[in-house]
Amino acid sequence: MKNLKYIYLLLASLIVLSCGDDFVDVASEDENSEDFFNSEKDYQLALVAAYDYLQTTSKFYQYAEIASDNTLCGGESATDSPYIQEIDDMIHSPVGQSDGGLRTMWQWMYEAVNRCNYIMEFQDKTDFPNKTSVIAQTRFLRAYYNFILVKWWGDVPMLRDKRIRFGDQFTIDRTPKSEVYDLIEEDLIFAAANLPYVQSETGRVTKGAAQALLGKVYLYQNTKFDKAAEVLEDLINNGPHRLLTSEEYPNMFERDWENNIESVFEIQYSDVDGGSFDCFQCLEGNYSTYFNGPRGFVDATGKFDAGYSFNVPTQEVVDAFEDGDLRYETSILDIEQYIIDNPGSSYDETAGYEQTGYFNRKYIARKGDLDIADAALTNPDNYRAIRFADVLLMAAEALAEEGDYVQARIYLNRVRNRAQLPDVTTSGDNLINDIYKERRVELVGEGHRFFDLVRTGRAAQEIDGFITGKHELFPIPIEEINLSGGRWAQNPGY
Amino acid sequence: MFSFIAQAHAQTIEVNGVVQDASGFPIPGVNVLVKNTTKGTVTDFDGNFTITNVDAGSTLSFSYIGYVTKEIIVNDSTTITVQLEEDVAQLSEVVVIGYGTQTKKEITGAVSVVGAETIEKLKPTRIEQALQGQVAGVNITTNTGSPGGSSTISIRGVSTNGDSRPLILVDGNVVEDLSVINPNDIESMNILKDATAGIYGVRAANGVILITTKTGRKEMPLTVEYNAYAGFQQTTRKLPVLNATEYAVIVNEGYAAAGSTPPFSDLSNLGIGTDWQDEVFESAPIMNHNITFRGGKEKSSYSYSSSFLTQDGIVGGKKSNFTRFTNALTYNLDFLENFKFKSGLTLTRTKKNNLPESTLGSVLFNAVNMAPNLPVRDVNGEFTLANGLGGEVVNPLAQMHNTYNKNKVMKLNGFAGLAYNFLEHFTAEANIQFNYSEVDTYTFDPIDFYGVGKVFNTLTSEVFEGFDIYRDYTFDAFVKYENTFNDVHKLNVLLGTSVFKTTGVFSGRRGRNIRDNNPAFARVDLTLDNEDIYAERGSNPKFDGRLLSYFTRLQYDYKGKYLLSAVVRRDGSTRFGPGNKFGYFPSGSLGWIVSDEEFMSDSNFFDLLKIRASYGILGNDRIGDYRFVSLLTGEGTYFFGGNDAEDEIFGKASGGIANPEIKWEKQKTLDIGVDMRFLDSKINITADYFKRRTEDLLVSPEVSGLLGTGAAPVVNAGVVENTGIEFAIGYSDTIGEDFKFNINYNVTGLKNEVVSVSGEGEYLEGGDFGISQPAIARMEAGYPLGYFVGYKTDGVFQTQDEVDNAAVTSVATQPGDFKFVDQNNDGVIDLDDRVDLGNPIPDATMGLNISFDYKNFDFSAYTFASIGNEIVRNYERNQQLVNKPIWYLDRWTGRGSTNAAPRQTTGTNPNTLFSDYYVEDGSFVRLQNIQLGYTFSNNEEDPIIDKFRIYVSANNLFTLTEYRGYDPTAGTGAPIGGGIDQGIYPSASTFLLGINVKF
Repeated sequence: MKNLKYIYLLLASLIVLSCGDDFVDVASEDENSEDFFNSEKDYQLALVAAYDYLQTTSKFYQYAEIASDNTLCGGESATDSPYIQEIDDMIHSPVGQSDGGLRTMWQWMYEAVNRCNYIMEFQDKTDFPNKTSVIAQTRFLRAYYNFILVKWWGDVPMLRDKRIRFGDQFTIDRTPKSEVYDLIEEDLIFAAANLPYVQSETGRVTKGAAQALLGKVYLYQNTKFDKAAEVLEDLINNGPHRLLTSEEYPNMFERDWENNIESVFEIQYSDVDGGSFDCFQCLEGNYSTYFNGPRGFVDATGKFDAGYSFNVPTQEVVDAFEDGDLRYETSILDIEQYIIDNPGSSYDETAGYEQTGYFNRKYIARKGDLDIADAALTNPDNYRAIRFADVLLMAAEALAEEGDYVQARIYLNRVRNRAQLPDVTTSGDNLINDIYKERRVELVGEGHRFFDLVRTGRAAQEIDGFITGKHELFPIPIEEINLSGGRWAQNPGY
Repeated sequence: MFSFIAQAHAQTIEVNGVVQDASGFPIPGVNVLVKNTTKGTVTDFDGNFTITNVDAGSTLSFSYIGYVTKEIIVNDSTTITVQLEEDVAQLSEVVVIGYGTQTKKEITGAVSVVGAETIEKLKPTRIEQALQGQVAGVNITTNTGSPGGSSTISIRGVSTNGDSRPLILVDGNVVEDLSVINPNDIESMNILKDATAGIYGVRAANGVILITTKTGRKEMPLTVEYNAYAGFQQTTRKLPVLNATEYAVIVNEGYAAAGSTPPFSDLSNLGIGTDWQDEVFESAPIMNHNITFRGGKEKSSYSYSSSFLTQDGIVGGKKSNFTRFTNALTYNLDFLENFKFKSGLTLTRTKKNNLPESTLGSVLFNAVNMAPNLPVRDVNGEFTLANGLGGEVVNPLAQMHNTYNKNKVMKLNGFAGLAYNFLEHFTAEANIQFNYSEVDTYTFDPIDFYGVGKVFNTLTSEVFEGFDIYRDYTFDAFVKYENTFNDVHKLNVLLGTSVFKTTGVFSGRRGRNIRDNNPAFARVDLTLDNEDIYAERGSNPKFDGRLLSYFTRLQYDYKGKYLLSAVVRRDGSTRFGPGNKFGYFPSGSLGWIVSDEEFMSDSNFFDLLKIRASYGILGNDRIGDYRFVSLLTGEGTYFFGGNDAEDEIFGKASGGIANPEIKWEKQKTLDIGVDMRFLDSKINITADYFKRRTEDLLVSPEVSGLLGTGAAPVVNAGVVENTGIEFAIGYSDTIGEDFKFNINYNVTGLKNEVVSVSGEGEYLEGGDFGISQPAIARMEAGYPLGYFVGYKTDGVFQTQDEVDNAAVTSVATQPGDFKFVDQNNDGVIDLDDRVDLGNPIPDATMGLNISFDYKNFDFSAYTFASIGNEIVRNYERNQQLVNKPIWYLDRWTGRGSTNAAPRQTTGTNPNTLFSDYYVEDGSFVRLQNIQLGYTFSNNEEDPIIDKFRIYVSANNLFTLTEYRGYDPTAGTGAPIGGGIDQGIYPSASTFLLGINVKF
């Protein structure tokens, strides 16, 4: 009988402890993305994550500069990052774009758009007073990312107000470029209408940023110069921005002058977190400024850091500066001259591939940051994505295209005068060409040149190897076509 | 009435006596049974027994593990001395098979056993080392040879691109980190290789290693064993690199070829320069002490053991020290004859100092690449800066000096179980196993400067202190029914349930700007600028994973000749979503003891001939937790209002890409085997054929970028097959009185093939080579898992004319550069011209183990070999001023000089692109252990010391291989991207002097 007790005990424990199936039906300790957006805070946190991918765009401005006739790829050797060497030489193809190439960039922009659409998908879930501002910022960011996608790849797969989720990749087709532009315009008009010119925190999207980007988007479509001129002039006349003065200008790209009055939209980077080559999109720092620097550079003045010698300016772009141009010193680092001028400085002249002796002075890493490991990747150098000088030159171009040469010259000459250059007095195509020339030297090193050449139809004449009808767009990486079921046609020529 | 008659016919007697071993020592705890009755007893401390009321003419059976059971017919009351022979054949050896035991003879699955004596011989510091070469079908890859460093175990090939580690259970307890186990505590390791492992369902798909630890026995006098060894370790190999003069010649040539000024104008006084490997390698001490107490009373048994191991590294000495302290206690008690309790508790502490190892930028990578013309220290006594050697190569001594990383583990694990035998044939058992670990991680990065542009330069000192807690428990409960019908039908039925739950909580704090850059102040508490990385970043620090299983097993045999076993298991895992949580996994096996058949009884040739077969479907859930839902674990940080720490905002974004459809991976395993013993069991042979087909492979494939940057989703895609044969033969005999020997050889042949991948006919990639080159390893249908893909070379261009008339890459090519084969004849060399260059999976692995005893001497040697695996050499930095291996002296220097190696140039060249030039044959034979021992004779009547043995032992004495890197056992263990040698920390050679004492 005593034994029976043990039997019961054992059997009872067997039954009790052999839990039901719900033992393995428990929620994760991590938050489920489907159960979010229950408070303003949730929306704000999702918005921060949407901003985060602005930091990945440094790769786009860097690669676009290399793709243009402004700079060569450089780097360590001919086999260092082949995909970018190929873009420089206009021999890039849909193959070999993983692991840092076009495929990575494509993936980053879709992550970015998905983060925006995550908020848009749940925009009606919870109400709170600042919601319009959150949605306006979200829509600006979505437009910013979609604009990159459409510039680089043309027709691109797109969902509206909905995340692309696992399985969707087999059903989404490429949305025609014009429809992508329609959504971008819609988003930016909404953002411009619902955001203030001045935000209490730097780094937040403003009305001015939305207007400037909208103007740029109109300009890129080549058929909307009137609209471009209108929105850009509204910003010029009513916005808070101005050009830095000639005295102030040399500080334009220095850390102490971040988010200055000329900067209409600026991407924020920081040195407070570490990072590694394993996850570029996780970085808080701007890797590109270190990559642009001279190899083995010891700067006796203590101003500049060394680097990986990518994105080196060509002699041709150096020669494009007029004599007396204030901007030359700020834009181009002539390393040999610098070493002569600053005794005790040196650099590894024999290291590095296709070196020209010039470096992109606007965006090479400065010393004085925390240099948390990996120091090459954690530079706090903000990217001035849209400067007021760009706005003036865009307005000038739009107006000139519309035939308003007088007003166009006024804007152009504001930029030239600041650079201590004389007024331009031309009209017609000559004026437009002068505006193009001005854009090149004003914006050298900032990643605008390639698409400026493409949108104005001048790429084939300026870029060696550029084939009209092909190189206006980049190829869709082969893996991307295969992994979405092989349904998309490749961009022409690839 | 009936019983009366029976009694009337029988005369009862009393038998007493003593049971001894061959050398006359008494054996306590021997089971003495009157055959065909339930009457029996157990011998006491002195081997004595008394058994009364025995029918005259009865057969007494004396059985004890490890000895041949002896039967004696007794007719009169008598005192007998029974001598038991050690069971060489060990047919009656009990093998743990999962929720029970079987004798070796009864087993129908492919099970291999590694016993305590092997572990004793090999002196492993980690138990993986005791598996290498011992067991057919088991392959060990060394991830790093540093003290306490891990290895990857694969049983019968790699079948998944995810986690292919076997399930390891120590006394039923799931163990992931093998470094915490004291090998001396191990009684036996049983490796279940086929579908019969299916009783463990979940995670058994990659095989199961069951480890049983030592415990006391009932009626055992207190036995104390003390084992200790001490010795030193040294590197097995130094890479031959250029000395300073040779280096300068090669570098100058490279500069000249690129049209630059050669940097060394005077070679006359460079001499040999610094041998950086000599500077970093050292002879490092190792020491181990182990004491074990074991004993038992009438109803209980106990054991206690304590061990201490400390081992410095051959690189960095104390900076890579590993120290382990273990305490293990077991206690078993029979409350009642049919109600038994068992328990065990182990406390382990380990401490490991870590240097950067086995990666680009590791200490050895630097030692190989550092320029030999530079001294260790400059004229001011400071570490020499490695200027001009690229961003990653730094002075390895400075690097070691500045490294202060360590982790500490405190682990408490235990088990407790109750077994209750009722209604004669039923046993109910409940067991609980638990693990609790605390892991302390400490890193300190001081401010340091290694030279211009070095990625390791740090301007802001940082200290990190992590504290992670891991908890898990397994609870098993089952009921067994065992009965024999009509003396011939033996039935064993098991029904049970098992639950497993693992939880953990992480914490970590980071501090910056350490006072005076001084390691003594490098504690987070002492910094002003610090943060809690989980709290301040809003990350969730916890996890919770669970498994729930029900299982049933039926074992049946007829006359012990025809054996059958069938298992069905239902497993549920939190890793799968609703609708996919549960899977059913059946398996079955058959055995036929041919040697027990009547038609064989005449021949008497075979002591055992068994044919067995098994087939089953096993489940695998070894993927990350909750991959079927999208969780907000992504990184989404931005800065508003400035770029300082207070401006940083941690947003919320989706982490890994979710696939709601994921379900159990299924492994279909067939095994056909034969076991033979003949010539009085002096020779035994086991041979197996197996085929493992993994379906619904859980893989994390590349997916469309439209899904973003989250970790790749897990999908069920692809089929992998591993087919192979295993053969093991053992021969043991005694010649004359004094000479005993034992020879074992095993070989495994394996073919691995990926049958299909994903849905799109594509491949998965992995494995880095050089700097920013495309991945070099693939999982692709029709090829072995993780094969290497790259250019095939066809010699070296000898003339410009040859270059002009051949297909070349987009990289400018000159005479002296590699001629790559244009596979598709399209006139250019591009990524489409890459082909299969081999794979890291050996075609065959084998082990040969020899041991013999002559009088008081014992000798053993263990060797193993791996054949047909390729290794990729990726420890060269290919920068203009770094040092190079000595074979660069055989470079191309002009037309006709060589067709095997390219020219030297610092200019543009395609020779660093991944090609067969960087793939080497990784086949090797290694003498893993050689040992000579002497046991002192003991002539005293009642000695205090029962056994005293001293020995000398050498581990990893030499390796025969063509491979030019440090260690051909190198590997990352990654299914795709394994076999790439990034400058592995080689396994050390160890020379030991040790003693074994038994009281």
